[in-house]
Amino acid sequence: MDRFLFPKWTNAIVPVLGALGAVGALYVLGMVAFAASPETTDVGYQPEQPLPFSHALHAGKLKLDCRYCHNTVEVAGHAAIPPTSTCLNCHSGAGADGVVNTVSIHSTSSKLAPIRESQATGKSMQWRRVHDLPDYVFFNHSAHVRRGVSCVSCHGRVDKMETVTQVKPLSMGWCLECHRNPEPSLRPPEFVTKLDWVADGDPHEVGEKVRKELNLNPSTNCSTCHR
Amino acid sequence: MDKKYWRSLDELHSTPEFEAVLHREFPAAASEYPEGVSRRRWMQIMGASVALAGVSGCRWEDEKISPSVSRPEGRIPGMPQKYATFMELGGLAESLLVTCYDGRPIKVEGNPDSPQSQGASSVFAQSETLSLYDPDRAVGVVERKGGTRYTRDWQAFLEYSDTVLGQARQDGGAKLRVLADVSSSAARKNLQEKFSALYPKSRWYDYTANSRDNVYAGAKAAFGEVVRPQLDLTKANVIVCLDEDLLSEHPAALLYTRQWADRRDPAAGPMNRLYAVESRFTTTGVASDHRLPIRSVDMGFYLSKLEAQIQARLSGKQPEAAGEDYADKVLVAMSEDLVANQGSGLIAIGASQPAELHARVFNLNELLGNVGESVRYTKEPLATDLSAVEALRELAGEMQAGSVETLVILGGNPAYNAPGDIDLVTALSKVPNAIHLGEYEDETSLLCKWHLPKTHPFEQWGDARSYDGTLCVAQPLIEPLHDGKSEVELLAILCGEKHPVALDLVKDAVKGSLDSMAVNASWRRVVHDGILKGSSLEAVSPKIKPLPPAKVVEAAGEDLELVFYISPQLYDGRFANSGWLQETPDNLTKVTWDNAAIIAPATAKDLGVKFGSVVKLILDGKSIELPVYVLPGQAPNSIAVALGYGRTAAGMVGGDVARDVKPVGENIAALQSKAAMNFAAGLKVEQTGKEYELAITQDHHSIDAVGAGEIKGRVGQLVREGDVSEYDANPDFAKERTHHPPLKSLWEELSYDGHAWGMSIDLTKCVGCNACSVACQAENNVPVVGREQVIKSREMHWLRVDRYFTGDDVDNPGVSIQPMFCQQCELAPCEQVCPVAATVHTDEGLNDMVYNRCVGTRYCANNCPYKVRRFNYFNFNKVYEDPNRKLQALVLNPEVTVRHRGVMEKCTYCVQRIKAVQIESKNEQRPIEDGEIVTACQQACPAKAIEFGDLTNKKSLVAQAHASPRSYAVLSELNIKPRTAYLARILNPHPSLAKPSSEGHGHGEQHAEADHEKQADKH
Repeated sequence: MDRFLFPKWTNAIVPVLGALGAVGALYVLGMVAFAASPETTDVGYQPEQPLPFSHALHAGKLKLDCRYCHNTVEVAGHAAIPPTSTCLNCHSGAGADGVVNTVSIHSTSSKLAPIRESQATGKSMQWRRVHDLPDYVFFNHSAHVRRGVSCVSCHGRVDKMETVTQVKPLSMGWCLECHRNPEPSLRPPEFVTKLDWVADGDPHEVGEKVRKELNLNPSTNCSTCHR
Repeated sequence: MDKKYWRSLDELHSTPEFEAVLHREFPAAASEYPEGVSRRRWMQIMGASVALAGVSGCRWEDEKISPSVSRPEGRIPGMPQKYATFMELGGLAESLLVTCYDGRPIKVEGNPDSPQSQGASSVFAQSETLSLYDPDRAVGVVERKGGTRYTRDWQAFLEYSDTVLGQARQDGGAKLRVLADVSSSAARKNLQEKFSALYPKSRWYDYTANSRDNVYAGAKAAFGEVVRPQLDLTKANVIVCLDEDLLSEHPAALLYTRQWADRRDPAAGPMNRLYAVESRFTTTGVASDHRLPIRSVDMGFYLSKLEAQIQARLSGKQPEAAGEDYADKVLVAMSEDLVANQGSGLIAIGASQPAELHARVFNLNELLGNVGESVRYTKEPLATDLSAVEALRELAGEMQAGSVETLVILGGNPAYNAPGDIDLVTALSKVPNAIHLGEYEDETSLLCKWHLPKTHPFEQWGDARSYDGTLCVAQPLIEPLHDGKSEVELLAILCGEKHPVALDLVKDAVKGSLDSMAVNASWRRVVHDGILKGSSLEAVSPKIKPLPPAKVVEAAGEDLELVFYISPQLYDGRFANSGWLQETPDNLTKVTWDNAAIIAPATAKDLGVKFGSVVKLILDGKSIELPVYVLPGQAPNSIAVALGYGRTAAGMVGGDVARDVKPVGENIAALQSKAAMNFAAGLKVEQTGKEYELAITQDHHSIDAVGAGEIKGRVGQLVREGDVSEYDANPDFAKERTHHPPLKSLWEELSYDGHAWGMSIDLTKCVGCNACSVACQAENNVPVVGREQVIKSREMHWLRVDRYFTGDDVDNPGVSIQPMFCQQCELAPCEQVCPVAATVHTDEGLNDMVYNRCVGTRYCANNCPYKVRRFNYFNFNKVYEDPNRKLQALVLNPEVTVRHRGVMEKCTYCVQRIKAVQIESKNEQRPIEDGEIVTACQQACPAKAIEFGDLTNKKSLVAQAHASPRSYAVLSELNIKPRTAYLARILNPHPSLAKPSSEGHGHGEQHAEADHEKQADKH
């Protein structure tokens, strides 16, 4: 039997395969660099919550301080989601005797039904987490807000959001940008919850002043966040 | 170095086995596939996990946030809170502070307010969180009928108990019996009285496998009343322990260790001197200045010799001349010291020794004027008319005779730990209504009609008293996970209450001790503090009765004796299902996951057995087979075996025959009998020709892998010790134990302007109790790997406690203990070889381990001179991923990453604790105070041997320790600048027994120029 020889036209396949391989490699690279980056996967994440709570209304229009609800933010790692009872301070439904508290707002609104149900059944609200760091990251809210890093630096203008959306990538590289160069994100700690605050003068100078006053030396050690 | 150091007999004699261990970087098969999985299957599993990883998508799982409906006042989500509670063992409470994280207990610490523990904690307490979430705990009420198991509920039991007790009430409970674990609870006592009033003809028996009946009986003989000796080791210059482990197994061991250690600082004043005469090597023996191994049966003979010596000296006569051998020299030195320190010495004798000897020791202390000084007496509330074993025997007799219809067993596991001559198994089969309240469905439950789930100590209200009598109160830290009820609640039910409120029962019971003017405020205070200050037992001054002249005790024959002892890991077997405790290496034998027959080298030779041979121990016709452990320093002709092993219904960890899980070790209780509860002569040993491999950590993670000869010269530089005379002559002697050329670094040396974290460990104080090791495991999510993996040297303990034998005498060596964990070297060799920068240095001097970067090359472990890095050969935490095991995962510390397969890990100086304090102090804009950061090991240490803090703060305790003349760095000649300093161990031997000063040089080492000059100056 004759030896099998590839016909001549197959020579054309080689460069095609090579080109495909190169494109494929570029594609994979592109996927890793852009498609799988937190910029793409996480920014814009906007899960639907069990009830349409509007930060734009509460924090924006009504100018409630962030800490009215997230009241552990200055002492604890977590900026705790408020318990049902916090909502009920304003939105209590009818009591056991059927009487509605006179200062209650929207006490019969159907949108607030889950809150009233939570109160009646004693079961927690099941909020969906928007800003979710991996379990091996130990972020501490108090360590930032007490040092003059505003909520807005990581969460954006929540006071303008109908539904909370993640606006920053919250990736390690993004964290380190600020840890290496903190001044632009620093402000006097009393203004951390004032999301529309603008520096009076050069923001960098203001930040430098805060940094000096509070003796801030953001660490870039691994164990600062990973333990 | 004149003194010889060695870790095992294999090493001392350089056997081929040890050579093999040395020459392998990792022990045999350390990187092989797990048992039962072929290579092909392994590839399949791996392939599947890769495929699944791709499917799971780019974003991790959607997380839910479930805030409370109404947040309790003062509760901050994610902030750990500490609550006071206690655990009770043998009727004595250990006061604890338990850290709760969002309502779940995750870490146990000692209660610093407790005068008994002073903040320290035992290994048992440390492991309590693991047992709380143990999935093998009994989950509900169970009835057994005709060999079938039915799941019932409390309502069904209530109906049943109503009928049974209704009948019992009519005849006054003539056929009703209670068998209870010993307890000092006042609430239980109240209910016990109520119970006997309700059922006047019923009887109540207390049983514990760890009884102190000999002490009670001894006191009764000596004083005519039962008293509890309370020792004050701070006042004792001389401490003599006769078969007594004051520093580990005594119920007040935490306090005694602290007191003993307080007098072990050569710079702070005269040191105490500790003599230990004992059959098996105990923690006290390790800590002692002079140890004499003799058989337990010979203790009476030894005591009479001691008495004769003391009496002669006291009456000014020349004591009978003692012989020239070591035992006699020790005897002379001991009596000389005791007589020279009248009122500031003490003799203590172990609870295993017969009552008669206790009486004589009470007498001796009186004679030496120690009473009222270093020895005081208080009332003994735990003493009962019947000794524990008598109580069990009497009950078993009644059961056999068919005169018991209803038996309530409160806690304990008597079917497992009853001595062999009490057949409780048959006896229980004759009781139609046997009811067992227990945390596990154990050996006893299987024989009872009803099993009732008992609450864990952290799930219940309770009260008890610690050894000094301080009232401890426990509050529930979590709702009962498995529908359990406490002993107090069950008793109240049996007394006819339908819905007992444990809180009220406990509060009523302790009311008498509270401030009667403000009961509620005082109660809240007690619940908050966990203890009632100033509630220790009333002191008594009993009058000593003249003892009948002691019988002339002859030295017993040369028989072999068998010594039973409560396991330092599993206690009486109740902790058998705790992986942490099973895997804690015994402090002397370093055996994990087994008990063994511990035999002296000389005896092993006589018997023709060697390490690992399985022998048959025969006592009074009953026998048991156990592997041999040849332990240098064990008394000749004495064989010791730990109780608490061989559980057949403990659970998936400790053994469960019904589920085909082999028991761990053997149950030696089968050989116990009335005459031989603690030890007995007349043991026969037969060879079986079988071999057994014990899981021993002793030669693992050998610091040196360059050969036995090198080690012998080196260990003396790792653990540096000297006599107090040597220290007085030259406090810096420890620093001069190593010689090396001037150190020059190849690397850029860092300077630290901010904090520089450092640690110090005082080897003079460390007794090797293992509390630090288990505390580290609990704090840092260190996994349990199991027996097979330990044999392959894959144990994961971040903190290991090294044990070196010292001296030339194999029959009576010294022992040096050295806790060893990451030294956070400033010029860390591990960092220099990591190809992916997974281990890097922080500007505060910590050697960070970045799990996410680690690719598992293990170069760092190769290059670590201390061998403190641990590699996850498997996903040891896989168990937590099982949806059925979510409960078990609650034990994990949420502040510490759970590591996956294939990454290296090691001690971080509890970086999570450092960060928590750093963040808090900076929030408050204040400096960190010295002592504010406490690592887990430091917190648990009963001896206060560990200090941690900032080395740049020269006033900090740790900086002072580093500046101490005794301080030295292990392997300082490598110039890696470890941050952990060890303080050399100083012994305080009697001058007549002191070995010639071991001041000397390492052999064959190059001396530094500077070094020579220094030497020249001195000469």
